[in-house]
Amino acid sequence: MPAVYHDRSARRHLCRDHFIAAVESRVAETIRSRQMIVPDDHVGIGLSGGKDSTALLMLLSRVLPSIGRVRLTALTVDEGIHGYREDTIRSADRLARDYGIDHISVSFSELFGKTLDAFLVGREHEACTICGVLRRKALAVAAKQAGVTKLATGHNLDDEAQSVLMNVLRGDLPRLVRDPGSASQGWFIPRVKPLMYVAEKELAVYLMLHGAWPDLPECPYAVHALRGEVRTLLATLEQRHPGTMQHLLASKAQIEKRCGRVSGAGPVRQCTKCGDPCSGEICQLCLLKKRLGM
Amino acid sequence: MKIILPDKTCRTQTITKMTVGELLQDLGINPVEVLVSLNGMLVVEDARVEDGDEVRIYRITHGG
Repeated sequence: MPAVYHDRSARRHLCRDHFIAAVESRVAETIRSRQMIVPDDHVGIGLSGGKDSTALLMLLSRVLPSIGRVRLTALTVDEGIHGYREDTIRSADRLARDYGIDHISVSFSELFGKTLDAFLVGREHEACTICGVLRRKALAVAAKQAGVTKLATGHNLDDEAQSVLMNVLRGDLPRLVRDPGSASQGWFIPRVKPLMYVAEKELAVYLMLHGAWPDLPECPYAVHALRGEVRTLLATLEQRHPGTMQHLLASKAQIEKRCGRVSGAGPVRQCTKCGDPCSGEICQLCLLKKRLGM
Repeated sequence: MKIILPDKTCRTQTITKMTVGELLQDLGINPVEVLVSLNGMLVVEDARVEDGDEVRIYRITHGG
């Protein structure tokens, strides 16, 4: 069998069957070792229809039967990004239908009154910050509607390594050790990242081998993000020094071990404006709404 | 050899023999950020390409 993937850090070539088995077993092991998902959980999958969430749905459908009875519901957020999101949402609809799982969609227009495109006029450089806060709330609304016990997202090894480096570059060490998997005494739905040890390229190969590669455009706002610069930098380092991204996650784990994983920056409080849980007096969403004149 | 780039533009190049990794290097593309198919089959960087082959390069980052 010809090789379809060269694992440069482990110095091995994998054929189709061994590659698929290796990815699936790593995802199953990540879920088990961190108790991300347990029997009788109802898991909401953040399904944008892009490649990472498509791979997440496919991989969870494959590995969860070995963990126990787990219900899946797809959750889709339509931010309103013209020329980009329409295609991925069609793809998400089709996937949920093909896999026979419930599907809940929410949009920025219905929740916040405008599309992301409209919010970003003249503020394109803030795209990821604004989208991140609104998207987090939108996903929480969809998760609550669905009544899920866990919220799974398609963040992969590259995303996680980029976040570690970005938090260091921003001097934001509390965020580095914050535990999004914590429910914080029932205030939040625990978030899990079953693909956190699977490289972006491995996910792309996995999709390609299953004939499920979504040939979609890149988010038009990605060019404005610090993440884009960090992504290019890390990809260059990974090419020259295989294993760099895994080492960054290992460094994060060592820091967590010394500091202890924390469930938030401090005790959970309630936003004085909307009542949502937050770490300060006013939540990030209300602060953003004020800044955007909402 | 016909090369289909990530933006779907095509170019034709005459070569003797080279590897996919060498081709990507010539094109200034980081192999970590792309997948490559050779005559419709997914291949790794040390696969050899020759004249008459069709090489397609897919950028793996979509974002969001």
